[in-house]
Amino acid sequence: MIGVLPFFGLILVLPLWGEWIQPPDYSTKGYLVPSPDYVPSFPQDHGAHRAYGLEWWYWVGQLKKENSAESFGFQSTVFRLAGDPKESTQTTGSSFGNRQLYLAHSALSDLNQGRYLHTERVMREGWQARADSQSMSIRVAGIYAEKFKDQPGHRLITRYPNGGRLELKLLPIKPLIRFGERGLSRKGDDPASVSWYWSYTRLKAIGKLFYEGKEIKVQGEAWMDHEISSSQLGEGLAGWDWTCMQLLDGTEVKAYRLRQDDGGSDRWSAVYWIDHEGKTEHVYADRFSWVEKKEWTSPKTGLTYPNTVQIEVEHPRRGRLVYLIEPLIENQEFYGLQADNAYWEGACRVLDGEGEVIGKAYLELAGYGGGLGARLN
Amino acid sequence: MPSRLQIAWILLTKTTFRHWRIRAGHYALLIGIVAVGVGAFNGIRQASRAASANFGLFNQAISGQSDFLIESPNQRLREKDLARLQGIAGDPDWHFVPVIEGSVTAVDPETGTNKPLRLIGLDLLSLSNLPKLSRESIQFSEDEMDWFHWIGTENEVWITRKLADDLGLEEGGNIPFLASGRTGKMKIRMILEDEQNNLPDDLLLADIPTVQNLLSRPGELNRLEVVINQTRKREDKKYLSLIGNRIQRNLPDYLSLSPTENRAADRAAMTAAFRLNLTILSLIAILVGAYLILQALDAAVVRRRGEIATLRSMGVDGGILFVTYLLEAFFLGVIGSFLGVGVGHLLAWGAVGMLADTVNALYFATSVEALTMTGVDLSVGLGLGIIFSLLAGWLPARDATQTPPAQILAKGDWSPGFSWLRKPHAGLGLLIIGGMALLFPPYEINGGSKMPAGGFVASGCWVLGSALLSGHLLVLLAGWLRPFCTGAVTRLACSRLFDGSSRHRLAVAGLVVAVSMVTGMFQMIGSFRDTIEEWFDVRFQADLYVSESGVTGAGSLNGIDPAVMEELLQDPNIKYADIMRICYAKPAEGVTVLAGVDLDHWSEKARQIWLKKPGELKAVKGAEPALVSETFARRFHVLKGGIVELQTPAGSKKISPFGIFCDYGNEFGMAAVDQEKWLSWVGVDRPVNASLYLADTSKVKETRERMRLAYPGLDVRDEQELRNVAIGIFEQTFQATHALSIIGLVVAFAGLLLGLLSIFDESNQTWQTLKHLGFSTPRFILSAGLEGGGIGLAAWVAGVIAGLAMGWLLIFVINVQSFGWTLLWTIPYGNILLFGLLLVLIGFTSGVCSATFWKMRAR
Repeated sequence: MIGVLPFFGLILVLPLWGEWIQPPDYSTKGYLVPSPDYVPSFPQDHGAHRAYGLEWWYWVGQLKKENSAESFGFQSTVFRLAGDPKESTQTTGSSFGNRQLYLAHSALSDLNQGRYLHTERVMREGWQARADSQSMSIRVAGIYAEKFKDQPGHRLITRYPNGGRLELKLLPIKPLIRFGERGLSRKGDDPASVSWYWSYTRLKAIGKLFYEGKEIKVQGEAWMDHEISSSQLGEGLAGWDWTCMQLLDGTEVKAYRLRQDDGGSDRWSAVYWIDHEGKTEHVYADRFSWVEKKEWTSPKTGLTYPNTVQIEVEHPRRGRLVYLIEPLIENQEFYGLQADNAYWEGACRVLDGEGEVIGKAYLELAGYGGGLGARLN
Repeated sequence: MPSRLQIAWILLTKTTFRHWRIRAGHYALLIGIVAVGVGAFNGIRQASRAASANFGLFNQAISGQSDFLIESPNQRLREKDLARLQGIAGDPDWHFVPVIEGSVTAVDPETGTNKPLRLIGLDLLSLSNLPKLSRESIQFSEDEMDWFHWIGTENEVWITRKLADDLGLEEGGNIPFLASGRTGKMKIRMILEDEQNNLPDDLLLADIPTVQNLLSRPGELNRLEVVINQTRKREDKKYLSLIGNRIQRNLPDYLSLSPTENRAADRAAMTAAFRLNLTILSLIAILVGAYLILQALDAAVVRRRGEIATLRSMGVDGGILFVTYLLEAFFLGVIGSFLGVGVGHLLAWGAVGMLADTVNALYFATSVEALTMTGVDLSVGLGLGIIFSLLAGWLPARDATQTPPAQILAKGDWSPGFSWLRKPHAGLGLLIIGGMALLFPPYEINGGSKMPAGGFVASGCWVLGSALLSGHLLVLLAGWLRPFCTGAVTRLACSRLFDGSSRHRLAVAGLVVAVSMVTGMFQMIGSFRDTIEEWFDVRFQADLYVSESGVTGAGSLNGIDPAVMEELLQDPNIKYADIMRICYAKPAEGVTVLAGVDLDHWSEKARQIWLKKPGELKAVKGAEPALVSETFARRFHVLKGGIVELQTPAGSKKISPFGIFCDYGNEFGMAAVDQEKWLSWVGVDRPVNASLYLADTSKVKETRERMRLAYPGLDVRDEQELRNVAIGIFEQTFQATHALSIIGLVVAFAGLLLGLLSIFDESNQTWQTLKHLGFSTPRFILSAGLEGGGIGLAAWVAGVIAGLAMGWLLIFVINVQSFGWTLLWTIPYGNILLFGLLLVLIGFTSGVCSATFWKMRAR
């Protein structure tokens, strides 16, 4: 999801427009703050980081039915929120723990029938929610993710309403990308507003979808983020617009703007390009514009989302680029247990300045119902 | 030409209602009697529903209606069971709601008074996922982001405003309590604002780990409730069945899934016999009420005989008169029933707490729900009131049609009366039918309960038969007494009784119904009490008895914290402790109780009232030997040995009785197996009580006091104290029976008064003649008193005979078939004799009062 500054493996170092702000060791609430120059160790760092306030594992992708034009979008997200910082690192082994809290968000977009299924669950650490600290082994409500022991990649199982289930084998096509300067992705001027942000920007997805009583063989490509922080949004930020694009030429683009309370974009908003080898380049807010082209108002929550956007960006080497992101279906609003926390997250296509389709995307529009800043600060 | 109905209507408005106006008080009383009859029935109906409908799923006031229950056979789950459900728990189509519940006793440190409360543990954090909570949003904290401060705390609870007011506490206040043999303090985290008054007043809500800690039941739960996510599909049976099948496929064998409504049905079946008894008792009130209407309408026919004769002379035929009188009965029924429905609601307010106590003591945890009056209540109340009024009006209406104008105008006294009362055929026929009904086996109710339908039919037939034959007894008694009557007054009274007019017979018959019922109940309650006393004498030979403090009923069992029990057993004066552990177990249908005991001690040392001594039956090879209660043996047909298969958390287990003991603890039956085997089957060590045999029996009191001081969370009682507690529960159980018997009796006496008035009305000419012959008013009144006393005496003799038969039926047929236990039949002769004296006295007083009133009215 959100990240700032690319840096992992063979990363091209670019001129830094934002100055370096040294993060504190602890957030104001007492959680550890991600430190710079941290070299993650895997598979352990695929697991949970209990001493940090907030963490999420996020998967999106677009899938096609085998030998058919039917296609689907999916989103599976597991959030972890730490409890009392003095105790959160230890597990109690209880079925009803009080040291970690988990949320599971699952959504399936039926792009042919224009249907959108989604579900949210909030669970305390225990019998219905757990994330291992030593590797990726997560089970939170209807989402289950487990790293393969004998090969790269992992399994992801997501359950949907009406007995739906998506079982995917996700195999990395590109290495894991670590975003941010000195390994830290910054989300605002607040020194603690940083995260470790690691992504698989292109995963091969193969599996089965159980949907409307049928078993459908599917395959496609997915994107996975794993982000760890203790204070996600800086002061004065109301939400964010974020997208990940998987272009037909085999490269990926990640772009986001951090929306300020007054409607402006925070200076830490950014666009990233990931090339075929996993090298990244980026620009900050002063080099791109996020233009809202079309809006959609939810009949359910009444919230209005600018779900067609055009990103016009000055690439450091290739000059001006245009990405027009259009939703494949309008209604992909995720409204959960609390209406003010609703967001729009959906499968899109990407067009260039000439109107040619150049790739697929997932677009996330968060914080339009208010209330998000308070939760993530 | 007006129709017959129109003429009847004219007669009703012009004549009948005129009588009502003239004797407004009399008719008001009559309407009141119908109202009391209907009210007693309807009130008991509403109260028993409110007292037992809320069958223990108290959490649903918070979590909303659930659709399925996942339970283990012993109704205890362990957290490790949850681990096996992880794969399906997170399915978006449903929510799994784990529940732990128990009872605690809040102690007021100033007054020392105890208040029993329900402690419910839910996963407070996951509740926000539930459809109800996402709609209504119950706040558990001022700040939702500080969740880790308010879940899983050691002792924090949420309570209703009403309970907080009752306890005189506010947020942050402490509630001292007793539970599982321990004492402790709960802290009020927050007071739940319950504007719609949905939450039970005795509810304490807390997070699951908190409740496990407060009840000393770590890692334990009671059940999982399943709430479907799409609640709008709740009525869609196909969808529910689909969801049920999906869950069932993934459940381990030892867990069962059942629709929540099945539990309601199971619980309803558990209390079916109890509620049926109440219904039958409350029907008596209506029956007696109908009898009174019959009496009153009959009296009206007698009083209006002249008017009827005049109308007949004017050409009004019998059919019209019949309809007119039936319409009068109908109006009495309608007005009385309407009032009765209201009276019933008021009575229900009074009775509901009493019945809830009984259900709690005998069956399962319940709390009083808001009393509701449904359309069905209204219809049943009105229907019964009107039907019984019409039935009661039928005979007087028929009597009215048979009034020939010539005779009535020629003679002063004339009455065909109820000639069928003079013939014994109907009465004898009913006695025979009743005897034959006993040949029918009991009717099996869903859930393993049985209804002794034949017994009930027999009791009805025998009581009615005795009532019909009681007139003959009256004549017989009067004949025997006549030689002893020397004075004019006594001779007059005796000869009038000897004549045995149909109205005298009717008055006796009405009383016989009430007397036989009351006598039967006397015997049942007396027999039950004596049996329990006897049981206590034999069974309870230990020096001290230890149980969880504050627990008095089946619905309140937490069990004793095993650590507390172990510590207590270290007492140097304990020679031997007979520890009992119990849990529910599931037979093929319904539920029964499985106990873990020291079988050697039970067989050889502990004294029991044995139906079959240990060893008299041979346990089947391959099955676990067990001592079973009589109720169990009857219910599962193993009185002569055999095998019963029970579902336990360790799977299906076979038990085979090698002895049968008498037990009056519950009606579901109990099988006791070796305690080690029990523990391996059930896995949860929660002793419910211990009988302590002391080394130095001269220090019983000293040991008791020492234990009381060391373990304030335990009740440590000697035999006498335990007996008093049991008798207390027993008395509580029969409160409703007593109340209904008294209502029946009061109404019966009111009937006697009305009946005597009718008799005097009918004998108007006779009195006039006697007056002319110099019979003074005091002598008339004395004669009437003797007449009343004679009716009372005849009713007593006939009622006692019928009552003895009723007692036999209740003890040897109805109790055995309903509850599976045999009681010692003891007849409370003293009480019956006193009752007889009272009856004669009241009969005499009724005669004096009605004669005085009649005289005043005649003037």
